[in-house]
Amino acid sequence: MSKLKLYTAIYVVLFVLATGQTLVEFAGLDYWVGLWVILGLSFVKALFVAVYYQHLRWEPRSVSFVMLVGLLAALALTIAASYSIL
Amino acid sequence: MSAEAEQSTDHGHGLPPASSVKRWLVTTNHKDVGILYTVTALFFLVFGGVLALLMRIQLWTPGEGFLAAVSYNQAVSAHGLIMIFWFLSPFAFGFANYVVPLQIGARDLAFPRLNALSYWLYLFSGILFGVSFFQGGTFAGGWTMYAPLNIPVYTPNIGASTAVLALVLFVASVTVSSVNFLTSMHRMRAEGMTLRRMPLFSWTILLTVWMMLFAFAALLAALLILSSDRLLGTQYFAATDAGGSLLWAHLFWFFGHPEVYIVFFPALGVMAETFQTFTGRRIVGRKWFIAAMVLVALQSFVVWMHHMFLTSINLQIKTLFMATTIGISLPFDLMVFALIYTLIKGRVRFTTPFLFSFGALVLFIIGGITGVFLGAVVLDYEFRGTYWVVAHFHYVMVGGVTALFGGLYYWFPKMTGKMYDEFLGKVHFALYFVGFNLLYFPMFLAWETPRRDFVYPEAFVSLHQLSTVGGFILGASFLVMFYNLSKSLLVGEEAGDNPWAYSVTTEWALPSPPPLENFPGRPTFETGMLEFRRGPGGTERSGVEAADGGEPTADGGEPSTDGGAAYVAEIEAESGHDEDHASPWPFAIGLASFVALLGFSGLQQGGFPTGLSGGFYAGLTGGGLVLLGWTLVRLARERFNGPVGPFGESWPFENVENTKLGVWLFLASDVVLFGAFIGSYVFIRVAHGWTDWHDLIPEAHVVLPGLINTYLLLTSSFAVVLALVAAERESRWGLVASLGLTFALGVAFLVNKALEWLHLFDLHGGAFAGGWLPSTNVASSTFYLTTGLHGLHVIAGLFISLYLIARAWGGAYLDDERPVEYFGLYWHFVDIVWLFLFPLFYIL
Repeated sequence: MSKLKLYTAIYVVLFVLATGQTLVEFAGLDYWVGLWVILGLSFVKALFVAVYYQHLRWEPRSVSFVMLVGLLAALALTIAASYSIL
Repeated sequence: MSAEAEQSTDHGHGLPPASSVKRWLVTTNHKDVGILYTVTALFFLVFGGVLALLMRIQLWTPGEGFLAAVSYNQAVSAHGLIMIFWFLSPFAFGFANYVVPLQIGARDLAFPRLNALSYWLYLFSGILFGVSFFQGGTFAGGWTMYAPLNIPVYTPNIGASTAVLALVLFVASVTVSSVNFLTSMHRMRAEGMTLRRMPLFSWTILLTVWMMLFAFAALLAALLILSSDRLLGTQYFAATDAGGSLLWAHLFWFFGHPEVYIVFFPALGVMAETFQTFTGRRIVGRKWFIAAMVLVALQSFVVWMHHMFLTSINLQIKTLFMATTIGISLPFDLMVFALIYTLIKGRVRFTTPFLFSFGALVLFIIGGITGVFLGAVVLDYEFRGTYWVVAHFHYVMVGGVTALFGGLYYWFPKMTGKMYDEFLGKVHFALYFVGFNLLYFPMFLAWETPRRDFVYPEAFVSLHQLSTVGGFILGASFLVMFYNLSKSLLVGEEAGDNPWAYSVTTEWALPSPPPLENFPGRPTFETGMLEFRRGPGGTERSGVEAADGGEPTADGGEPSTDGGAAYVAEIEAESGHDEDHASPWPFAIGLASFVALLGFSGLQQGGFPTGLSGGFYAGLTGGGLVLLGWTLVRLARERFNGPVGPFGESWPFENVENTKLGVWLFLASDVVLFGAFIGSYVFIRVAHGWTDWHDLIPEAHVVLPGLINTYLLLTSSFAVVLALVAAERESRWGLVASLGLTFALGVAFLVNKALEWLHLFDLHGGAFAGGWLPSTNVASSTFYLTTGLHGLHVIAGLFISLYLIARAWGGAYLDDERPVEYFGLYWHFVDIVWLFLFPLFYIL
């Protein structure tokens, strides 16, 4: 598959996932199950964009690692801070 | 170097001689920028120091007296902010700018103009902070700026807003600087300068900038939210809502604890370098020393809640953070013992730099041990908010400063070519050390004095008077230093290339001061010795053996090197470089940012007040923004040759070109910025009750506009991908059309958002009869501010895309598509952020 075809296929996938994510709300799931499904879909979409559109797949692993450290820092702050008031 | 030699080496690079003022306004050379940082930081030391002396005069007797109450509060707050932000780190970064490229064998930093920009943003942020004193008084709520004291209800002065904006500008400077240092240090080390061999000062700076990259992004989030609360009327930190003050504490200390090591690590680097040089001994356990520092850098991000033991966070998390805090003291034990053992194994020479470094070690040990008390939850209940804390962190922070003054004496001969007066240096140290301990030690004894307050029990009067005397002795010691250094600069003895026996890092193998291009050819450490490659086959060996301090010698007494005295070279003839070292635009951008932010400080509740003053601030904002846009375009359009490869050691980013790595690093800090915004939203929503949140949101806030915007942004991302494909296929019109599509979709995104916002602003009836405005409640605040920050990123991207379109129209990027690729990295990132904002703010 040429790169252009790959990119186009990913665009279609992203479009479908975004629509699907919105429809989850109306699927009658339990609120918390729906919440995790919706957030999970966001992570999947973000991964597609980062890995293919931002070419992380073709960069040295160290670049992905740096971004992961940033993400971990943000998650640590969010989770620990929220836990601290539970 | 003689004036003539300087003229000749500067020839052809557009850089005026050092004697001209213009040189210092346009220079981008790392050594010049280092000197600018050092001198400016010393100015802020005097600024912050005078404020401290005003406080000490006030504390001569308990109660109001010398200063008015609010003036005292301003002095306390401004002293802390100035010393920590505008003195400590920039002072260390003066040395980092000057020394790190020399130590790693680079001609300059990766982005010389961005380096100059960092400096000018720093200087103008400091001036902006100074201006805040004249806008009804500066911020008076303490350097930690705790909520809710930081919102206009309690600190209503315009000057208080200006102080916050000055910090925003300072963080911009730090971020640019971090990206630049990380790119340079990872990508541009000379051959053989592996991380294993890298000198310890450079190691400390490397770890410092890594911490800066992530920690300052969290501070930026805190400051932007605070600015919004102050200027636009959002409700994050309002006293009436649950979690507001705790949110500030979390954001601030998530930055604030790494900041302790950000300011301390460079001092540790100076200690390590000077201990090695003045004991003639490689540091004991070098590998473990480095490992311990790496560990501390990581651990520094998981200890922040020990600053919050007296808040309402739960006991489980307090206990956890008590454990992590004790954990972080362990690597420090290792470092302290490594330093002490180096002293024992080596033969100590008590020069001024060594005395300051040794003094720093002693002070840091006291500061560290007294800090462990505060890390224990039970003891902290007693000590928090007292002078124990004040004494502890001054022993740590100013203990670090002590080593940095050692660094100033150590590198002064390299930076100026002149030797300081050793006797006066020792007098400075004696006065400094006595003054320091007389100032801060009595605070431990008078620990029950309430912090930040000028009223204290009568029983402590004599201790506070001792402190005040110590403060003046400490202050006076700097008069000796300024006299010594200025006199030496004018009439001091020539220092020679290397005034210190046993020094082994690269800077000492070069002339004092080193020439503009640093090296006579391409430096290499391949053989374990510093050598210079000059054309095919030719190398010249210098006297420096190994940059990491050389191999340990058995008795610690034998010199491993002559310090590079052998180096003599005809620079101009040998180096054959064509790099630029001058640009007026960093200064201009700094000035424009200053004007724009000064204008913003006049904002209240999202608008400028009517009347003359409102018009003045509105004019400044408009003028500043126009100037900023124009200067940025001029910077982008300027032809400027920075350092080019091949570079030698680039682990772990071998195949990532400098600019690309710079973009990725910037995006990593942006991840934390948005992460902290999203984290704030989650935190406030948890504090409010996750599912009760829906009561704060009107029915009219529906999913559809968000979904449409998701489609628009995804499609625009795809359009950027098409643009890159078109550029690779050298299709000029394909490139222009794809970029044009990206632009159009971005504009559509903003128009859709504007329509949505206007609709929500204009609601009537029901629970939100006055409209759903940013100031309506915490839900509206988080919605407008977080999506607004994202919108600003879209707007910035649209400006860049316009620039790219204009250039692509003229045929650019077909032979080199990298700018399109790097713009794509940014644009896709903005897309990714929206992929999270959409469900969080529209669906859940």
